[in-house]
Amino acid sequence: MPERFVIPIGPQHPALKEPGHFEFTVDGETVTGASARLGYAHRGIEKATEARTWVQDLYLLERICGICSHVHATAYALGVERLAGVTAPPRAQAIRVLVGEMERVHSHLLWLGVAAHEAGFETLFMYSWRDRETIMDSLEALTGNRVNYSANLLGGVKFDVDTGQADAIRRGIDFLESRTRIYLDLVTTDEVFLRRTRGIGVMTAAQAETLGVVGPTARASGVARDIRVDAAYAAYPDFPVGITLEQTGDLAARFVVRVKELFESYRLIRTVLDGLPAGDLVAKMPRHVPEGETISRVEAPRGELFYFIRSGGRSRPDRVKVRTPTLCNMASVLTLTIGHQLADVPMILVGVDPCFSCNDRTVVIRDAATGQRWTWARLRQHGIEAYR
Amino acid sequence: MSTMLGAVALAMFPGGLFVIAMGLAYEWADRKLVARLQNRLGPRWFQPVADTVKLLSKEEIVPDGVDARLVLGLPVIVLAGALTAALYVPMAGPPALSFPGDLIVTVTLLGLLTIGTGLAGTNTLNRFSLQGATRTLTLLFSYEAPFLLALLGPAVVAGSWEIGEIATRLGGRWVAISQPVGFALALVGLMGKLELPPFDAPEAETEIVAGALTEYSGRGLGLFRLAKSVELAVGLTLVAALYLGGIGSPVAHLVKTGGLLLVMATLQSLFARLRIDQVVGAWWRYGAVLALGQWLLLIAWARV
Repeated sequence: MPERFVIPIGPQHPALKEPGHFEFTVDGETVTGASARLGYAHRGIEKATEARTWVQDLYLLERICGICSHVHATAYALGVERLAGVTAPPRAQAIRVLVGEMERVHSHLLWLGVAAHEAGFETLFMYSWRDRETIMDSLEALTGNRVNYSANLLGGVKFDVDTGQADAIRRGIDFLESRTRIYLDLVTTDEVFLRRTRGIGVMTAAQAETLGVVGPTARASGVARDIRVDAAYAAYPDFPVGITLEQTGDLAARFVVRVKELFESYRLIRTVLDGLPAGDLVAKMPRHVPEGETISRVEAPRGELFYFIRSGGRSRPDRVKVRTPTLCNMASVLTLTIGHQLADVPMILVGVDPCFSCNDRTVVIRDAATGQRWTWARLRQHGIEAYR
Repeated sequence: MSTMLGAVALAMFPGGLFVIAMGLAYEWADRKLVARLQNRLGPRWFQPVADTVKLLSKEEIVPDGVDARLVLGLPVIVLAGALTAALYVPMAGPPALSFPGDLIVTVTLLGLLTIGTGLAGTNTLNRFSLQGATRTLTLLFSYEAPFLLALLGPAVVAGSWEIGEIATRLGGRWVAISQPVGFALALVGLMGKLELPPFDAPEAETEIVAGALTEYSGRGLGLFRLAKSVELAVGLTLVAALYLGGIGSPVAHLVKTGGLLLVMATLQSLFARLRIDQVVGAWWRYGAVLALGQWLLLIAWARV
């Protein structure tokens, strides 16, 4: 084949639920090259935080991700509380963990369905999404919302968990646990499914370290990296998490890790509900956060979520920098697809559980010689030109 | 008088309108069954009709850089092929037309859909279509031989290559029981022909959008879909006629093809999509070998 035959995937493509653009050079069915262009869903949230108060930012940042909204708010709230020297009460921290784990269940079940869909396994897609409704109903009953739960406040959480709600959640978890056993059985024994996942997109532990992947993607390659364990935050010191590891590093391992993490989340949800500490839900926060800067890391369903927050002692932050796990994992997709069949590409891409709009950022390297900064007009102009 | 009858047979029954209606009914049944197996509600009974009417009433867009005659002509040829095939299979009774060797002609006519789809895909500049067409034609080469061999099994036993004659000579015997391998291959081969899951790699939406038919819209797409529905009905009828003891009455037709459709729907919802290399490998490594094995066994049996 003298000419390069390029299969474009995106920005609009049935495999992608969010816009992103990938170009795969193929030789027949085999992928020989890959490139990505991200940034179609850049929303300028980081910049927008600088124009809003600390409290308003909580709600803005929660909307970075439509799936793992709670961890964003948790990361931000924990960071701001540290800057202000406030510690949320134990009960609030436990509820943060509770909602965080319920969110992980919902995210992993959603991912299982999407990944099955990419593999053309519509039946698994439909069933896992049906079962996901159980946890969505629990979240709605608890917080009033299916997504963007607004559970966090600066200094605590907004709502309490009563015994009725706790029992309802337990019932839902029991049902989900029985269903998840079926899924675990399926992803480990279904021969046709394993033919699409076993030995596909293999990433060794060394590669995982080099590429800097995080979350379940790293854990499937045997890299023990989980912020809930490495740097336990909120109530995780009181409710320790068992780390789920797989060694093979292929797509099958990524399936197994995520499904096994569901069991860990179920266990954790039960433990938190049983051992919910008594006490207040919220601590008093000052209106102006003292000057300083901090880093806040939490484990989102997709991996490490990183927040950098700088306060100038005013009623609004000077800078909030967010690095979502997808950005860390994206590089692995381009490396892993090479040499695989075109049919494996969507699965390898979805294998890292990408969340495009969360990771889209604009970064400008400042010219050291002139030291010139971008003005608002320049930024606006750039925005218009970049998306033309 | 015979010309009149022929015209009626072509336009109304068992050709033309009847087969189209039947195809749409089977398409609905297939979609509904798969939906129920997947815990969905599925379409209402008139959905395929509504889809067809809507598609036929819409503008057909001819993209740049293609042979317009081919774009407009292929859907018609494909549908005509599927409808013609219907004349040679028993429709709620003996076939409308028959001649010695019509089994081969029918299978060839059924292959027209795949060839037409492949041609439609290669006749564009769209990269998804080209990739899809390559896959469609690759698939054609893998399942066609085992499928044909599987259909010839009952023919060899009956000693005739005429579909109506085979049914008569077998006298209601269920060949599926004596030739289970051939039966399974014929049914799975039909799924491959129709590009149903798990053999839907040529139109894998998460990889190549709609495959060979990505550029098709409106009337052309409607006719292709219609041809596929008709082929579903005709293919099921053919397999039932050869393997499930022939089709003597409308009730037998409905029950036997309905049963086959249920099996097919279950198979569709049971598996993840196979990669194109896996499909080709499976067909040549297992399908073709099994078909040939049974074929040799039959010849040996018939000789003795």
